[in-house]
Amino acid sequence: MQQTILEIKNLSKSYGETIALANFSLSLKKGEVLGLLGPNGAGKTTLISILSGTLRDFTGSASFKGQDLFSDRRLKNLIGIVPQEMAFYEDLGALENLMFWGGLYDIPKKELKRRALELLAVVELSARAKEPIKKFSGGMKRRLNIAIGLVHQPELLLLDEPTVGIDVQAKVNILDIIRNIGQQGTSVVFTTHQLSEVEQICSRIAIMDKGVVLAEGTLAELIRIVGEKEIVEVSGEFSADAFSAIIRQSDGNGMEILSVTDNQAHLAFADSERIPAMMQHLFKHHLPISDLKIKSPNLEAVFLKMTGRSLRD
Amino acid sequence: MSRTTLIIGNDIKRRLRAPMATILFLIIPLAMTALIGMIFDPGSGGETKLPAIKLLLVDKDKGLAAKFLVGAFDQKEIKDMFQVTLIDEAAGEKLMKKGKASAMLIIPENFSDDLAEQKISTLEVVKNPSEEFLPGVAEEFANTMAVGFSAIVQVFADELKIIKSASKLNLEAISIAELTPFLEMARIKIIALNSYLSPLLLQLKTSTTTKPGKTAKPKGFNIFAYIMPGMLIMFLLFIIEAFMRDIQNERADGKIRRMMFSPLTTRELIAARIFSGWLMGVLICLTAMAVGTLIFSIDWGNSLLVLILVVVSCFWCAAFFAMLNAFFKNKNQAGAFAAPIILVFAAFGGSMLPLEQIPQGMRWLAKFTVNNWFITGSQEIMAGGIPHGSLIVLSVSGLFFAMVAMIALQRRLST
Repeated sequence: MQQTILEIKNLSKSYGETIALANFSLSLKKGEVLGLLGPNGAGKTTLISILSGTLRDFTGSASFKGQDLFSDRRLKNLIGIVPQEMAFYEDLGALENLMFWGGLYDIPKKELKRRALELLAVVELSARAKEPIKKFSGGMKRRLNIAIGLVHQPELLLLDEPTVGIDVQAKVNILDIIRNIGQQGTSVVFTTHQLSEVEQICSRIAIMDKGVVLAEGTLAELIRIVGEKEIVEVSGEFSADAFSAIIRQSDGNGMEILSVTDNQAHLAFADSERIPAMMQHLFKHHLPISDLKIKSPNLEAVFLKMTGRSLRD
Repeated sequence: MSRTTLIIGNDIKRRLRAPMATILFLIIPLAMTALIGMIFDPGSGGETKLPAIKLLLVDKDKGLAAKFLVGAFDQKEIKDMFQVTLIDEAAGEKLMKKGKASAMLIIPENFSDDLAEQKISTLEVVKNPSEEFLPGVAEEFANTMAVGFSAIVQVFADELKIIKSASKLNLEAISIAELTPFLEMARIKIIALNSYLSPLLLQLKTSTTTKPGKTAKPKGFNIFAYIMPGMLIMFLLFIIEAFMRDIQNERADGKIRRMMFSPLTTRELIAARIFSGWLMGVLICLTAMAVGTLIFSIDWGNSLLVLILVVVSCFWCAAFFAMLNAFFKNKNQAGAFAAPIILVFAAFGGSMLPLEQIPQGMRWLAKFTVNNWFITGSQEIMAGGIPHGSLIVLSVSGLFFAMVAMIALQRRLST
């Protein structure tokens, strides 16, 4: 049985009247890559900030390998954090940055240098190790951002939306790096609002919204929540009220409304043969529909089912 | 290498890697000193209105020539330049020690008799060491008077003897016929008064008030030495403020948050920031002073004392701005408040105007500025003294600011 490396129990944090985390609990095993999926404002960054020790005034507890995470400063040597923002010195080179950020941890200088050079090779920046970061592309900076989080060889890596604002090629590259880190035995918590990323690299997924975990499990386990239903995404110039009123007039047998907003709705059909009849009903009531998409059961459907809203909202 | 030294090393390395801002901050005070020095240099022909020079006049002679000399200060142009107080020597010395006047001119005993008898007499000028410019003007003026008096005394030696003996007689007993040959002789001498006269009968002795048992070396007046300390401390404030503002910048761009992911403590971080701001200030200040010596021939005085004053002043600046950054909410607020604070310090602390030109009622404000303590401290060192006051005030207040900064910044960076 794999060892539980991180145990979070009932973490709560609010900013004034806004609740960021509400009795949030989660556990992570050694070598596991956990995808923490949630829309903006779900509480992902707050969770990372608390675990990294940069946010105070919360309730609840977190233990790392059985020790209280917040009482022993030395435990920070075992945890690597990759923040959303690319926080490093742009006027310094990649190697200089790794040496500086790594130097803040308790690693001998020789070992740090060896580790920095090794990581530069992993993130494919060896050829530009001495060049000032300000000359790097967005993707290169993101790769360096991850390397800085790994330079002290942590046992747990927390990544806060590491693929924000980069092109597809760079994203694929970064996801490969994260997958390899997990395969080498480092436990990873990876927050994102990109469903495809979680599907690609995470061994376990937790869906969170408004500060709580709504569902948790492997991709297959989560899809079972929505069953083998077809998902229809309807887009057009309609209001949520108008759409709901027309749907209510239909024979809704075997159909489930997952979400309805102005201009978009998601419907789940247990029997795909009922989809044409429903579409006919919508057109008959002159609902201005501009686009229809039929999707197989996936994580997005799970997310819609759990949160009642799309990740893009 | 400790985490604190790692951060300090990184800060200094980054400044040296992109040195333009630092070089500019180094050049500007030197350029300003050169510019202002050239405008106000007495040899440049620029017109400047000086504040009235407070001159204490001690007349130990009370004779005719002494009265004539004292009367010279009643001439309108000279009256505008000097605020003369006739005083006895003991009271004058007390006021000089308290720094209440720019200079004291002492007319020696038997001054009139010595001049009439063509004997060498010495006027003494005692200068205030805490002021450099105004005592210099007083000295130059006294020197000019000494030259003028010497010339008159030599040319009219015979006439002076007659005047002296006549003053003891009944003037009604002397007939016009008896006076005519002397008046004619005087007329001829006045016509011929364009020849060179030597040696001077009247000499000038200059000294500077010092603490008992100490002697001060009299130095020539260097206007750049008068201006540069003020410029230097003003730009040091700008340099160190920019350096300390990194606390706000790195908070905004997430670097400080990332540092706190590591085992680094907020105390280590704040100490590193204050130390690197201080170190950078010291390096720049000493470089500027060395360049000032090379370009403007400034004699800063005792090197060790100068180093101590620079170290203490830069520490004050770093601690002060670390403290301010603990109370500023963000970098925009820091940017908006820091410059006005520095300019107010410069205006009231003596960087922009000599302290003597600041209205009397506002001079107390200078005591709250690092500028005032640095300028007066530098001038004391240049005059051969030890700036005890400046060193104590800057050290104590600097330590206080550092303590407040440590507490307040820890709180700000932990939330």
